[in-house]
Amino acid sequence: MKVLRYAALSVAAVLFLIPFYLVLRNGLATEQEITAPSWTLWPQEIRWENFAALFSNPAVPMVRSMVNSLVVAVLQTVGQLFLCGLAGYGLARIPHRYSNVVLYLVIATLMIPAAVTFVPTFVVVSTLGWVSDLRGLVIPGLFSGFTTFLFRQYFLNFPRELEEAARIDGLGHWGTYWRVVVPNSKGFFAALGVIAFVTSWNQFLWPLVIAQDQDSWTVQVALSTFLTSQSIDVVQLFLAAAVSIAPLVVVFVALQRFLVRGVTETGIKD
Amino acid sequence: MRHGRAFWLFVGPFAAGLLVFVYVPIGWSLLLSFFDARNTVTPTEFVGLRNYADMLTDAPFLRSLGTFSLFALFIVPLTFVLALALALLVNQISFMKAFFRSVFFLPTACSYVVASLVWKLSIFNGVRFGLANTVLGWFGAEPVAWTVSTSPPWYWLVLVTLRLWLQLGFYLILFLAGLQRIPQHLYEAAWIDGAGRGWQTLRYITLPQLRTTSVAVLLLLLIAAYQAFDEFYNVLGTDRGYPPFARPPLIYLYYTALGSGGQDFGHGSAGAVILTLLIAGVTLLQGRVITR
Amino acid sequence: MISRRRLLSLAGASALLAACGSNTGRGGDGQPLRQWYHAYGEPGVQQAVVRYADSYAKVPVTVQWNPGDYDSKLATSLLSGDGPDVFESTPQISSVRAGQLVPLDDVFGDARGDFTESILATHTVDGKIYGVPQAVDMQMLFYRKSLLEKAGVQPPSTVDELIDASRRLTRDGVKGLFAGNDGGGGVLGGPALWSAGLDYVRDHQVGFDDPLAAQAIGKLRELYASGGLLLGAVKDWAEPDAFTQGLAAMQWTGLWAVPAVQKALGDDFGVLPFPRFSGDGKASVPVGAFGAMVNAKSKRIDEAKEFVKFLWIDRTDYQEDFNLSYGFHIPPRRSISEKASKLTSGAAADAVKFVRDNAKASNPPDWTSVMRTAFNDAVSRVVRDGAPADAEIKAAAGKARDELKRLYG
Repeated sequence: MKVLRYAALSVAAVLFLIPFYLVLRNGLATEQEITAPSWTLWPQEIRWENFAALFSNPAVPMVRSMVNSLVVAVLQTVGQLFLCGLAGYGLARIPHRYSNVVLYLVIATLMIPAAVTFVPTFVVVSTLGWVSDLRGLVIPGLFSGFTTFLFRQYFLNFPRELEEAARIDGLGHWGTYWRVVVPNSKGFFAALGVIAFVTSWNQFLWPLVIAQDQDSWTVQVALSTFLTSQSIDVVQLFLAAAVSIAPLVVVFVALQRFLVRGVTETGIKD
Repeated sequence: MRHGRAFWLFVGPFAAGLLVFVYVPIGWSLLLSFFDARNTVTPTEFVGLRNYADMLTDAPFLRSLGTFSLFALFIVPLTFVLALALALLVNQISFMKAFFRSVFFLPTACSYVVASLVWKLSIFNGVRFGLANTVLGWFGAEPVAWTVSTSPPWYWLVLVTLRLWLQLGFYLILFLAGLQRIPQHLYEAAWIDGAGRGWQTLRYITLPQLRTTSVAVLLLLLIAAYQAFDEFYNVLGTDRGYPPFARPPLIYLYYTALGSGGQDFGHGSAGAVILTLLIAGVTLLQGRVITR
Repeated sequence: MISRRRLLSLAGASALLAACGSNTGRGGDGQPLRQWYHAYGEPGVQQAVVRYADSYAKVPVTVQWNPGDYDSKLATSLLSGDGPDVFESTPQISSVRAGQLVPLDDVFGDARGDFTESILATHTVDGKIYGVPQAVDMQMLFYRKSLLEKAGVQPPSTVDELIDASRRLTRDGVKGLFAGNDGGGGVLGGPALWSAGLDYVRDHQVGFDDPLAAQAIGKLRELYASGGLLLGAVKDWAEPDAFTQGLAAMQWTGLWAVPAVQKALGDDFGVLPFPRFSGDGKASVPVGAFGAMVNAKSKRIDEAKEFVKFLWIDRTDYQEDFNLSYGFHIPPRRSISEKASKLTSGAAADAVKFVRDNAKASNPPDWTSVMRTAFNDAVSRVVRDGAPADAEIKAAAGKARDELKRLYG
């Protein structure tokens, strides 16, 4: 039984790792090796110079766009945790006659496809003068209904005893939240933080349209330059893909234990 | 009053942003759906419900709604069962648990763009050196044009495996978290009562205990199925547009509203409203769950 | 037309937004003009267009290079009023009718007669010219001489010969023809119509509402079903890799591929137009040209027009450099294309001849996205799914007729 379990998991794990293998293999090989009629398991010699070629390609500012993505993702993650955390707590714990209205508005955003409100959103943001601007990249993405909803569900289950103890110490809602609730919810914040970071890092359509100057490109936009119909450099494309996912893989492997712990604490339970 | 001020202190900044960056565009789109809004977002010609009538009789749009209802019927249970099965397996082992969890969760780090590249150009390309065709070749089979062939429609295999790879890890984590919350004593009590360790505990303890997690997962999966866009766009889309096969409603609307050679926001927005109502209807049908 | 600001309040936006509206007012002295290009694949083009813009003394110009989905990005930006002043595209009747483009007839001056008439026609809507053609692109059929010889196949001059050739050239792991990963429906739909003497739109009427159209599209199905097509290549039809790697004996691609093909195959290739099918049909090559256009929402229309005139009318040396120094395009002005030594021999010379004799507009201004989607859907279903051609084409023609009626009454 145990053997079977490990066998099944190992097969699944191999299948899950194949795409990563392909990204690396294709990124470090030569185009001849990729297109050879018989399968090249691993390039004859690893072409490290492919990295140099990628990072020195004048048409694609890889380094700059990685930095931009990092800045945007960090700001969006911090901003979302701050704003949506507060809102989720308010909706869960502070009774108010409009709290249901706000909650329904939050849930409704989960069902409305963002792709179709895309153009009006752009017009609003460009009216504010935020095109090719860090504000345009970061701010519209801060107000995530999904994150707020998850926070609310989580705070509904937060142990009331802890909050009441804080109340007795004379803390208001604000003090209770920052001194008691947040420090006791680090795991959950970390979990939602990872999700927010990944979502932000992997965004494509919005940065494509809003980040117009080359200086404000994010890594996904840079990646898409390799896909322009007139010439695909397959090797560079895959190498760029590898470079674009590397930071996230590191973040994941380092933080995934928090993730499970954090989600375990979530409000998906009621 | 004290509550009132505190409530807005907590919720106000978020609510204001939601209003400006989410609800103004939504309201704007809604408005556009009642206008003849070609190549403009400041239309002047009010047409009432005509855009809705057009979309509700538009054969390609209706076909894409139908296709994606079928897609949802298929992908939702499939993702659900596989994620649950993997979660159960991972939960039951102790050695290398973190390793397997990491491996299954890792694809979540990839963007749809990257995954589409790998699937389209490396695994399922139609020539001899594609991975899938190489494997077929070992068995002496001819190369298959995975993304082109419509009989059988192999492109569904491409798109479904891609979606599974990208999404399974996230739902696996949700299930794992749910499993870890099940009190061990429930199992022990069941075993004492003579329940078998396999199917029976799963049927009578695990699944009922996972009910809330399951409902949330189903809901998220359902919304994601109807809102499919990225991998379809990147795998099947070409510089000549998108073929009439496996065309998600959002892609059809995207080409209507932002296609080259004419942007039609009236019809695009009307279609979006119809799609939203459909998603809301289906989710309501699926369970009155989410608000609690 | 109501202003953007007014609509915002209509849409229920807060007063806050309306107050911020004035922030966007760019323009005025010292501010650079903004010019957009899509991302060309050939190395050097980006540097070249920046160099051209920098040499303009009157006003500073910033060039923006746009990778990814250029059409959507441009459309979104033009709508917002925050778009570029000058950009490249092909004019569409919908943009003209919505007042998004500035007519450029007065920019041409005496040079007008020097532009190839058929190219100018694709930039003309309702009698006015909206784009100054920058570079002509065309598509054609490439074939590998040695492979045809070995198989005893003549270069095809009719559609039936093309199908037959694809079938017979398919051997030893090499496919007969590569015409795109969608099986040819995308790029060959137009040529199939032209091969039967039909067209997308003709004199404001549907050009393919004809039983012959169904037959011509049916031929594409025959080609697809013959087993002679390469499908699912890593790079699509626009790049010659499948052809140069020996995966296919013939490929439908463009003039831009000539240098790469020459480098890989030397003299072992020839080019052909898409062959004729029947009756009034003719061999054809799809031709199109990006043109420089001026955004009607620009606050500096006159300066923008003056810059366009400088760049694409006055500086003929730039047009020559742009067309011939990087990739391979045909200069839209005859005075330049005729003296271009690169275009006087081999496949390039054939291409120039095809453009003269067999050119068809690949993307005419009144072929709107509604019509194109309906037509491409029909062709895809016929070619890949074996749907009945007459019913599919009839349905597409019906949709196109409604659309044309809306446009022209």
